[in-house]
Amino acid sequence: MLVAALLVFGFGLSGVSGGVAYFLPAISAALNITGHQTQGNSPNGNHPTPTPSTTPNQPFNVLLLGSDNDTKFAPDQVLAQTMIVVRVNPQAHSVVMFSIPRDLWVPIGNGGPAKIDTAYADGGAAEAISTVENNFGIPINYWVWIGLGGLVHLVNDLHDVNIVAQMPILDDEYPYDLTGGNPYAYARIAILPGPQRLGGVAALEYARSRHGDILSDIARSQKQQQLLLDIKASAKDVGLADVPTIAGSLGDSVKTDMSITQVTSLLTLAKAFSDGSVQQIVMVGSQYFSNGTIDGQSVLLPNWTGINALVAQYFPS
Amino acid sequence: MRRLLPVVAVMALMAIFGFGIYSVLGTLKSSRHHTTKPTQSQALIDLPGTVVVVQDGQIYRLNSLKFTPVKAPAYDWVQVEPAPGGDILAVAYSSAYTNVYLLNAKGQVVRELLSESSSQYLNNHWAYYPKVSPDGKTLFYAADWLDPSQGYNVDFQIQAVPLANPSAYPVVWSQAGLWFQGGDVEPIPLAGGGIIYAKYNIDTLGNTYAQLVYVSSPYATPDPLTTAAQDCAEPALSPSGTEIAMVCTKNSLQSTTLQVASWNGTTLGTPVVISAGPEPASPTWSPDGKSVLYLNTLLTDKSSPFQLWWVPKATALKPGAPQQVTADLNFTATSPPVWTA
Repeated sequence: MLVAALLVFGFGLSGVSGGVAYFLPAISAALNITGHQTQGNSPNGNHPTPTPSTTPNQPFNVLLLGSDNDTKFAPDQVLAQTMIVVRVNPQAHSVVMFSIPRDLWVPIGNGGPAKIDTAYADGGAAEAISTVENNFGIPINYWVWIGLGGLVHLVNDLHDVNIVAQMPILDDEYPYDLTGGNPYAYARIAILPGPQRLGGVAALEYARSRHGDILSDIARSQKQQQLLLDIKASAKDVGLADVPTIAGSLGDSVKTDMSITQVTSLLTLAKAFSDGSVQQIVMVGSQYFSNGTIDGQSVLLPNWTGINALVAQYFPS
Repeated sequence: MRRLLPVVAVMALMAIFGFGIYSVLGTLKSSRHHTTKPTQSQALIDLPGTVVVVQDGQIYRLNSLKFTPVKAPAYDWVQVEPAPGGDILAVAYSSAYTNVYLLNAKGQVVRELLSESSSQYLNNHWAYYPKVSPDGKTLFYAADWLDPSQGYNVDFQIQAVPLANPSAYPVVWSQAGLWFQGGDVEPIPLAGGGIIYAKYNIDTLGNTYAQLVYVSSPYATPDPLTTAAQDCAEPALSPSGTEIAMVCTKNSLQSTTLQVASWNGTTLGTPVVISAGPEPASPTWSPDGKSVLYLNTLLTDKSSPFQLWWVPKATALKPGAPQQVTADLNFTATSPPVWTA
């Protein structure tokens, strides 16, 4: 009897050890990615923490931050060139993606007005959150930051992503800063229009290029939202056994204040949403902002009447 | 010693068991979207004639259910188009430009038609969608056009050169709007002398759309054949010249439909949807003009790699249902298959 119990225990321990060894990289990476404290400055000098959504079925807002984290910038001082507020309504099974133009000229932290993409560089996630909350009146419950390499790795780990390219993308001055030795170098890229399957680098080129389009950053916001939906479609069959590979390759390219449990819940929730339940909001036109030049910088001057109306429509309090 | 041996054996078994668990977990990774080389696969439907397709930079010929590689030079091939006499027009991709070659049926280079080095006139770097005119004399293609006043204002425009002298100064057939209005691609030279192509544009609300347009001569004002709301591109003219297959999105960025409309030389008839989704692309007509071959994902998985699909009786009032021709392959969706008798 004792021998049998020892055998069961031994084999059980051995099996658990095998499982732990398999998931160890994932656990390590997940701990590295999740649960980040929201450090940085806020306009009033405090260190605000986003308000976690405590009620399971209550709508909550996630601030997605994307940065060109190449060697042009110090690791902790990268601009958030992508800012998308995602409102998830678990009960209604609906999602709103709201892009904030990076050149929007708004009050930032304690330093007066600046382009909104500088908030993250100045004060990390805390300042980015407080800038969004103070200017748009949208409460942020969680934040996720992703760097260039993170997007490339994610798409590659998903074995590519299908997109319907909305137009030909030609860019003679695409930043060649990810793999080349010179972070200020340019590359010439071409992406054909129509349905196609893209690897990580090409998907990044599609979402990042802004020179082949009259709408520049605005069009880029549209493409970024499109890519997020396409990534969601590709990720729908990802299983537990895939997690070590994906988590391991993301490394330092992704950070969030969500816990592992919250991330898992969110991924499960995301699988339940159809494309039709996602509303994509990109501000275009003078009802939202006008072009201007301040201190030699091209900026977008907000028209708060139009913006507030949009926010009230899609982010009801 | 005798008592120790079983203990060691059991411990070894435990270690193997633990390693087995580790290995089994590795095999549980999602096997979705497993793809293989066409030469290791077989078509599900025996299409008559020969089909030429591109996968992972390699050109393949499909004949009697089997794929064989076309032994072309080891370039990164990204598009194929039919050429007179059974030859193939093929686009080779490099990191910052493309070259267009004329290949014979064996894959040997007959001639280099367009290259980075022949772009001295209009500063072109990219050339895609090569098409030979019905009389076999002119090569049409879409090339990048750099606005001299803008450092990175680049749009595709339609150009043409004599097939016998492709290094001649190109005739510019279309000029995309200034300031990044999208670009002109996918030319179809017509027997009557004009061309149809897809013109991309952006409206004041920031919506991007494509329209099929017809121009009778270089720089003539384009006549729209489809509306902005239809958002159609990727035209393919039937061998009889009376039907056009096209890919339309209705401004969706998540799905497309494949449609066929009659063409009388001036206008398109009411289109009929022959493939409702998820992402049909790059149609081509059968040599008899009755069916359409194209690329699409699996019907139940829009994130899957692109396979060959076929719609029989594509011009009938009630077209046939789409039929899957290949499985587990990963064709280049921006390269229409070439189908010859």
